[in-house]
Amino acid sequence: MEPRTLVTIVTIVSAGIAISLGTIAPTLMQGKAVAKALEGMTRQPEVADRLRATLFISMALLESAAIYVLLVCLILLFANPLLDRFF
Amino acid sequence: MLEEVFPHVVFRVLGIPVQNTVISTWFVMLLILGAVYWIGRHESEALVMLVDFIVDSVSEVMGRSAVPYLPLLGTLAIFIAVANTISIVPLLPSPTQALDTPFTLAMIVFFSVHYFGIRDRGLRGYLKDLADPIFLLPLELIGQLSRTLSLTLRLFGNVLSTQLIVAVIFSLLPLIVPLPLIGFSMLTGVLQAYIFTVLAAVYIAAAVTASSPPPEFAEGPDSGSLGLSATISK
Repeated sequence: MEPRTLVTIVTIVSAGIAISLGTIAPTLMQGKAVAKALEGMTRQPEVADRLRATLFISMALLESAAIYVLLVCLILLFANPLLDRFF
Repeated sequence: MLEEVFPHVVFRVLGIPVQNTVISTWFVMLLILGAVYWIGRHESEALVMLVDFIVDSVSEVMGRSAVPYLPLLGTLAIFIAVANTISIVPLLPSPTQALDTPFTLAMIVFFSVHYFGIRDRGLRGYLKDLADPIFLLPLELIGQLSRTLSLTLRLFGNVLSTQLIVAVIFSLLPLIVPLPLIGFSMLTGVLQAYIFTVLAAVYIAAAVTASSPPPEFAEGPDSGSLGLSATISK
């Protein structure tokens, strides 16, 4: 097999594995945050507005980890630096 | 098809490359200016409602009145919301799907956080608070830089990923099927505008407020600290 093809295949497979593994932890934690916030909203509906704003901010902060994984995968797939450096 | 999601150079002015996202930024600016002019002439209550909505939702997060910071925060909210949803117009990509636009917005937030901090509390007070335990100053500086980076990458990654999903589905099934995903990308765009604005407001609020510990932590027998001090005294 030509080395360029091999590098491409390895890159695509590893990008798939990376995005599936890298989004597990942020998604689990986001689900936990939503569950806790819903619990608090049903228990105390009068603070629901403040809870919702805080929930959005914390969801955005949690999501940034998944976004970093996504960007690494996009760089690997569309602008692969290894292909130009080695071949 | 997928390559059209990424920005490319359309023409050059005096050797300066102009990307298609820059052109759609001009369209966004024209659209906002025209819409504000028209709505202000005919339905000025709508503008009042929009400004009230932004002031209310940002003030709630900041814990103080957001009116002194409204020119920055309101502009960020309106511009990002329109820029993220402009991609439903054919041939106009979102300006935020090139890395330049989110980075510029995040740099504006970075500098204005320090500007508002120095303006409201004086250079001395702001710097003193920034380097309160002096050995934490490097960590504080790294935190300032990394949150600028994370603001950039959050906006860019969200917008680009939804556009990529739409492009992939479109290349498989171009009829009807991408429509719900386009709606989802519009929803994500408006939500990201809200999140960017609220995070900028939180950073500004942290810079203009003195970093004394909140009263519920300063006083009151906290169980954790009580247990720790009991352990030490033994």
